[in-house]
Amino acid sequence: MHTKRSLNRLWIAWILVIPVLLVRGFTIIYPIFETFRISFYDVRLLRGINEFVGIKNYIDVFQDPKVLTSLKFTVIFVVASMALHIILGVALALILNMKFMAKKFLRTIVLIPWAMPMVVIGMAAKWGFNNDYGLVNNFIRLFVPNFELSWLIHTNTARAAVVAMDIWKDLPFFAILVLAALQFIPEEIYEAARVDGAGAIQAFFKITLPLIMKSILVLSIPFTMWRLASFDIVYAMTSGGPGDDTSLIAYRITTEAFTNLNLGYGSTLAIILFFVMVILSLINIFIVNKKFN
Amino acid sequence: MIFNKIKKILNSGLKWILALTVSFIILFPLYWIFISSITPAGELFKQPIDYLPDNPTISNYIYLIYNVGLIEKVVSTLIIIGTTLIIGTIICVMASYGFARYKSKGLSIAFMLILFSMLIPNVVTARPLYDFMRRVGLYDTYTGLIILYISKIIPFTILILRNFISEIPISIEEAAAIDGATFLQKIYHIILPLLKPAIAIVAITNFITCLNEFFIPLFYANNIQVLSTAITQLPLKDNMYSVPWDLVSSMGWIIILPIIIFVAIFEKQIMDGIMAGGVKA
Repeated sequence: MHTKRSLNRLWIAWILVIPVLLVRGFTIIYPIFETFRISFYDVRLLRGINEFVGIKNYIDVFQDPKVLTSLKFTVIFVVASMALHIILGVALALILNMKFMAKKFLRTIVLIPWAMPMVVIGMAAKWGFNNDYGLVNNFIRLFVPNFELSWLIHTNTARAAVVAMDIWKDLPFFAILVLAALQFIPEEIYEAARVDGAGAIQAFFKITLPLIMKSILVLSIPFTMWRLASFDIVYAMTSGGPGDDTSLIAYRITTEAFTNLNLGYGSTLAIILFFVMVILSLINIFIVNKKFN
Repeated sequence: MIFNKIKKILNSGLKWILALTVSFIILFPLYWIFISSITPAGELFKQPIDYLPDNPTISNYIYLIYNVGLIEKVVSTLIIIGTTLIIGTIICVMASYGFARYKSKGLSIAFMLILFSMLIPNVVTARPLYDFMRRVGLYDTYTGLIILYISKIIPFTILILRNFISEIPISIEEAAAIDGATFLQKIYHIILPLLKPAIAIVAITNFITCLNEFFIPLFYANNIQVLSTAITQLPLKDNMYSVPWDLVSSMGWIIILPIIIFVAIFEKQIMDGIMAGGVKA
């Protein structure tokens, strides 16, 4: 009876849904098809070029040293950041799950980095990593007097600094989500394990970790996506420097599309990024389904 | 006996050390930004850093208000976020109701499409969207920005609200219909009151999302300036290469302080929102 009545009034549902579909359609769906179309053209506003070139842009991408540098750092950034997210995030979640007085205070302050704009964090970090007046070296000098290092002008330290700030901002958020998974584990399991003589470390590896593994895998989809599309952190902190060594792929794309006005090529990079994201999330969904169902 | 007591003290000591370390890592940089914002520019470049300035000053804040148009930026930020939250929530409640209560193949595809569109990062659509906004005259307008902000909050909001509505038993609505309630009466008197906690959660989470939004105001506006991009537009003082750190930290602190207060007040709702959503749009 339900179904019948619902079907009769289906037009009501469509009226309710249409505003949302229109907004998403014009801001996301239409532009992505347009990006796809432009990726087969050579469009350079500065030189007034606009011609169809087929897959030439796609071939060029793999020979462009700037793009290869961006790709390399993007891979380093995503892998390093996600590995640290998982290891430190589980550790932080365990800390947040401790039963003690300052629990609520701790849970409140870990929300602060999540709620802050990345661009503020990036700007502050640019100064924080300054050799002479920055917070980081000032702190290190407490333990290592005469420590000198200009973090953001050397490739490896600049990359490490970018990863560090990304962790500072998003790790607490990841930990909160892991905490949610931790709270689903019934206390009785631990009590039973204790009776059987399991220590804290054993309980962690035999009970806690296997039970939160699925959540960690599911969470790693959006967290990986956000890292792949990260833009504001390098915009504010390093402007992609030194050279192009910290120009994440999303930063590279906006530079091509808005600074160099090389639209066709920028679109090609954007489409490649999009397909990488789709493929990665499909793989992740496949792994989660295969392992847990 | 005494052994157990020592173990207990050690245990709680370890907890405190861990908690203090985490707090220090999060709070100390914020304290440093605050201290920098009230330190006169000349004293800023000291080594080692003075964690308590000798001559604290609020001149940076005054400068921001009179010379950088801080008030104006706050007002435009609030206009955009306020309108976004109101219109966005209304159309998302409508759509969530549609998706939760009616079933058809077309609706399922539409819903999947909205979820799938979360996978598309904003850099992928940026250039065509920019050209489109210019062509239809929405570039650098409040209307244009608000549409983009609404679009940004749609997936997360619908995900949460649809789940909430699905959990409201349909029999309540049927009973009301038998009593002669019209469609709108049903929505207004039954669904909306039950949906209040969920709406509060998405409003609070979306408020933060909109406040932090950087990409949209940076690329789709020029004259309309919001707080999140303001920090990149501070006037450079001496030459192109020197960054006015005193102003940057003041601007940063102006953004951070309301966020800290907001988070402290709504800690529970934010936590619930994050956990209910699982993922953020």
